[in-house]
Amino acid sequence: MPEPLIHASGVTRTFGDFTAVDDANLTVKPGEIVGLLGANGAGKTTLIRMILGLLPVSEGSVHLFGDSPSRTTRSRLGYVPQGLGLWDSLTPRENLDFIDQAFGVADTPLPEALEHLRRVPVGQIGLGNQRQLAFAAALGHNPELLVLDEPTSGVDPLSRARLWDTIHDKADAGVGVLVTTHYMQEAQQCDWLVLMSGGREVGAGSEADIVGDTTALNVDTGDWPSAFATLTDAGFLVSLAGTQVRVIGAERDAVREALGGGDSVNVSSARATLDEFMAVKERARQQA
Amino acid sequence: MIIREVRELTGGVAVKAMILKEFRELRRDKRTMGMLIALPILLLVIFGYAANFNVEEIPTAVVGDNAEQYEDQLPDLFVVEPGIDADASAQDLLKDNVVDVAIDTSSQPAQVYIDGSSIFAAQSAEAGFSQAPDGMVDVEVLYNPDLTTAWVMVPALIGLILAFIGTVITSIGLVKERQNGTIEQLAVMPLKSSQVIMGKIVPYFILAAIDMIIVTVLGVWLFDVPFVGNVGLFAIGGAIFLFVVLGLGVLISTASQTQGQAIQMAMMLVMPQILLSGFIFPLDAMPAGVAWIGYILPLTYFVEISQGIMLRGADLTSLGLDFGVLILMALVIFTAAVLRFRRDLAPSARHMGGSK
Repeated sequence: MPEPLIHASGVTRTFGDFTAVDDANLTVKPGEIVGLLGANGAGKTTLIRMILGLLPVSEGSVHLFGDSPSRTTRSRLGYVPQGLGLWDSLTPRENLDFIDQAFGVADTPLPEALEHLRRVPVGQIGLGNQRQLAFAAALGHNPELLVLDEPTSGVDPLSRARLWDTIHDKADAGVGVLVTTHYMQEAQQCDWLVLMSGGREVGAGSEADIVGDTTALNVDTGDWPSAFATLTDAGFLVSLAGTQVRVIGAERDAVREALGGGDSVNVSSARATLDEFMAVKERARQQA
Repeated sequence: MIIREVRELTGGVAVKAMILKEFRELRRDKRTMGMLIALPILLLVIFGYAANFNVEEIPTAVVGDNAEQYEDQLPDLFVVEPGIDADASAQDLLKDNVVDVAIDTSSQPAQVYIDGSSIFAAQSAEAGFSQAPDGMVDVEVLYNPDLTTAWVMVPALIGLILAFIGTVITSIGLVKERQNGTIEQLAVMPLKSSQVIMGKIVPYFILAAIDMIIVTVLGVWLFDVPFVGNVGLFAIGGAIFLFVVLGLGVLISTASQTQGQAIQMAMMLVMPQILLSGFIFPLDAMPAGVAWIGYILPLTYFVEISQGIMLRGADLTSLGLDFGVLILMALVIFTAAVLRFRRDLAPSARHMGGSK
């Protein structure tokens, strides 16, 4: 069994009285894509910063390539932070040159899509292109591990698909990937998921493992806007899938009753999506 | 679904909303509030006491055979420094900045030397001796015979310009990394903290050093300021002073989240140096309660060094104290700055691999 590239065990981080990450566990093996999911403030970035050794842990342990996070172990990974970590006033080529020199490699090729922008300062190019450049910079030294903090945030669907192709190619070549994302469609591309809420790990495994037997209710009614408004006002957790009203974490009878109990309303049960599961967990946390 | 009606606000209501929002923001911005309320009071009190061109006491030495006789006749303005050997050279006492006025009584009339690089003391001394009876003293102003203000100001301005560039520009440059989030990228790269710090500071050091050369050459060329001392010693003094101000710039950057905050803090450090380092208002004329601030400012010592070397040709022996203080400041400030910057780049490894 290959040695995990990342092994975080019982990791906790507190800032004064506030616990940003509470007893989190995470393992990334070679060739594996691990998705770290959670809403804003769930503790994903704090956990990543501890894994990278940019933030000391308050409790627990973090191992990178079997060792403590350090300059040496970090040199074996590629990191794309949320802010991308590019120098705005430098051109794409100058950014790559500097990062290449820092890692002791030569001439990381500029992505083809950026060739026509090679003389334009990075601050003046679009976010999609910046993300491509940040990816190229992170991959330039052939890392064994990729740590990507919301790498596709603000990127158009085509560019997002292209970036995920790259992630899969790297994973197929044996590179381990830890990726945080808001997009649940992207979560489905991961081999293993860790779901965080309020700093705590609230689920781990495949999507099916995490969702388990949590169900959502499909509400079929001729007047979906009215049903949506009524259920929202009644305090249910309601979402829309097209014109399909879905209610999460509620009893069928309670939903029927809230809608007047007429025959025109059909309520059926379906497996909750990851988004819906996350919404249930977030609400439970807020109510607690 | 409740749809809230959007009404067009009247001008007064809109302005009121803006004003309220601005006050709320200001209330939480402690630095700006400090600058708005505490700083003006502080500046008025400190500079009010410091702003004094009138020198009421001039450190004076009387040497030569008739020293005692002349000492007795000196007006109160001239305060004779104790412990000066009667055989000492009057000109050397001035060159070494021991006193501002030295009287050699070996000849008749007695020869009075006035240090023209201490311009306000020199003006007061000249006025004082103009009332002496004819033939009693022969007065000569050294180092700045015409008491030209530019001769005194230019060496000091070199220091002020370096302080400004070193503190403000360096802090802005470093905070930019934090503001853009690239400092995290630097921390993840396989670069040693010392390499990052050197890489960040060396360019500013080189640029400030080039500035120092340009400003010095221009000052000498445009204002005919003499440069009678050792250029190498001046360069060493400038380099040490640069380490101090660059260190201050780095320290400010570690305590600032944005470039605006860095500029605010840098200005708070540079401004007192303009008025309290002795090159506009003489430190000797300030009350002790204010003068001590001047003595903890690095520019005070660089002004002594630059004026001493450029105008008086002072050497390391007479500038030893100023060099010593600047070196100490450089060591303390630069070390503190590097340690704090390093903390940002490489957090403590404690607990990293420890178990729960």
